[in-house]
Amino acid sequence: MSRVLIVEDEEHLAAGLKLNLEAEGFVVEVEENGQVALERLTSGSNGFDVVLLDVMLPGLDGFEVVRRMREAGTFVPVMLLTARSHTDDVLRGFEAGADDYLSKPFDLSILLARLQGLLRRKTWLRDSEEAGQTEELVEFHFAGKHIDFREQRLRWDGGEQPLTLMEATLLRYLVRHEGQTVSRKTLLEEVWGVRQDTDTRAVDNFIARLRRYIEADPAHPTHLQTVRGVGYRFVAEPSA
Amino acid sequence: MDRTGGTRKRSVVLVALLGAGLIAVAAALNVSFIVENWRSGLLLLLGVASFAVLIGGLVLNTTFLIREIRKSEQHHAFIHAVTHELKTPLASIKLYLQTLQQRDLTPDKQHELIDTMLEDSERLQLTIDQILLAGKTGDARRVDNPTEVDLSDIVDECVLLAGKRHHFVNGEVRLVDRVPQGTFVVKGDRDELVAAVTNLVDNAIKYSGDRVKVGVELVRIGARRVAISVRDQGIGITSQELKRVFRRFYRLPAALRLRVHGTGLGLSIVRAVARRHGGRVYAESRGAGQGSTFTLELPLKSS
Repeated sequence: MSRVLIVEDEEHLAAGLKLNLEAEGFVVEVEENGQVALERLTSGSNGFDVVLLDVMLPGLDGFEVVRRMREAGTFVPVMLLTARSHTDDVLRGFEAGADDYLSKPFDLSILLARLQGLLRRKTWLRDSEEAGQTEELVEFHFAGKHIDFREQRLRWDGGEQPLTLMEATLLRYLVRHEGQTVSRKTLLEEVWGVRQDTDTRAVDNFIARLRRYIEADPAHPTHLQTVRGVGYRFVAEPSA
Repeated sequence: MDRTGGTRKRSVVLVALLGAGLIAVAAALNVSFIVENWRSGLLLLLGVASFAVLIGGLVLNTTFLIREIRKSEQHHAFIHAVTHELKTPLASIKLYLQTLQQRDLTPDKQHELIDTMLEDSERLQLTIDQILLAGKTGDARRVDNPTEVDLSDIVDECVLLAGKRHHFVNGEVRLVDRVPQGTFVVKGDRDELVAAVTNLVDNAIKYSGDRVKVGVELVRIGARRVAISVRDQGIGITSQELKRVFRRFYRLPAALRLRVHGTGLGLSIVRAVARRHGGRVYAESRGAGQGSTFTLELPLKSS
């Protein structure tokens, strides 16, 4: 049974979401203050599988909550829920470390589908057998680095970097298509499951973050190459 | 005595002559300087003048620019706030409708959801009314077709409705003294006056946090005026902000920090309504955390 934390200060929305998620079999808790939610989420064993996070919150806004969560090493999948649907806001959300974004008013069925999607990706990463993936994709070695997809961790000699769900999912997709050029649109559709009008720059933000983790010089990437006008290509062993 | 007197006279004359001579020389020099250098002097004067104009222009320009930037920031914040105020209840209504459509609920639960939706539609309506009223009161200086309005009636109604809307049961919002009907009659637009008083009462509640204790009072000021005071024990207002709060789109920094929802229109509407009725509104507070009192003063109908 999955545990969901709803962080929403609008009482009616929070109650409506709780009712529906409980009907779907989730264990639901509600928090209305950003600061308090952050404290709960970053305190050792919070036990939540997914967080539904409003942006306009008392205490601390949603962008800040997710940013500080990631800084503190909490990588629970986060879906932002907000009345602000401007592209810049969506990008800001992804930049802060959110995994998905839904603007209000939303469709109940879409919300549930996206939430299930987040949880599915999480288990898909954790348990490759269930998803029918081959052994090699549970982990991957390249250029002195080791990606552990189950643990959502990138390790290298003398260090490691935890990855958010979306970072790990994106990296896994790129690794699976090693040497092939994949377009931003494909990435959005395959990794985020977004088919509508989301700006493809969201992808660029994630790529920039991944480069910081895996490239010796993020300004001149050798593994995560940009294919001008198309998208990106992952190369495990660059020739030069 | 004589001798010294004569010497003094002579020296005074000498000094006066010397002075006059010096002035004459200075004047002659000056005149010749001006005659010889008037062109460059004029140029200098023109230079100084145009420099002053330039600096003045720059200062004016910067001032206007800053004002415009502030305005655009306020507009931006206003659009955000309105978007939030419209979309949030709408999101809630949509969620509840889809819940009713898709889930098998007990009749009690169904009623509960319907009540919530009614509250949300009320909130939506209030926001829309507020925006429309801001447009209307912002346009004209006077009330069209004023009628006689009984203020005690309006105050009763507003207090009652506020209590209902916020589910208060312990007299969180109360009338300080009940005034007999017909005591205070003004000429004006009933809907506008209700909106003004509702705004004051709702603000008092909104900015009180968890300890809502709002007193509404209706008192005579002199022979010809009446005042409606709304007193709360909420977050208070600093002295610099007492006037600013009435500006359109202005929101208290403390309110933004505490995420008190609002559009920044309410008090500007109250001020516009007050002016359209020949009255005024002002705020008093002993400072942050000390609560505040808003007073709407209106002229009584002349008998």
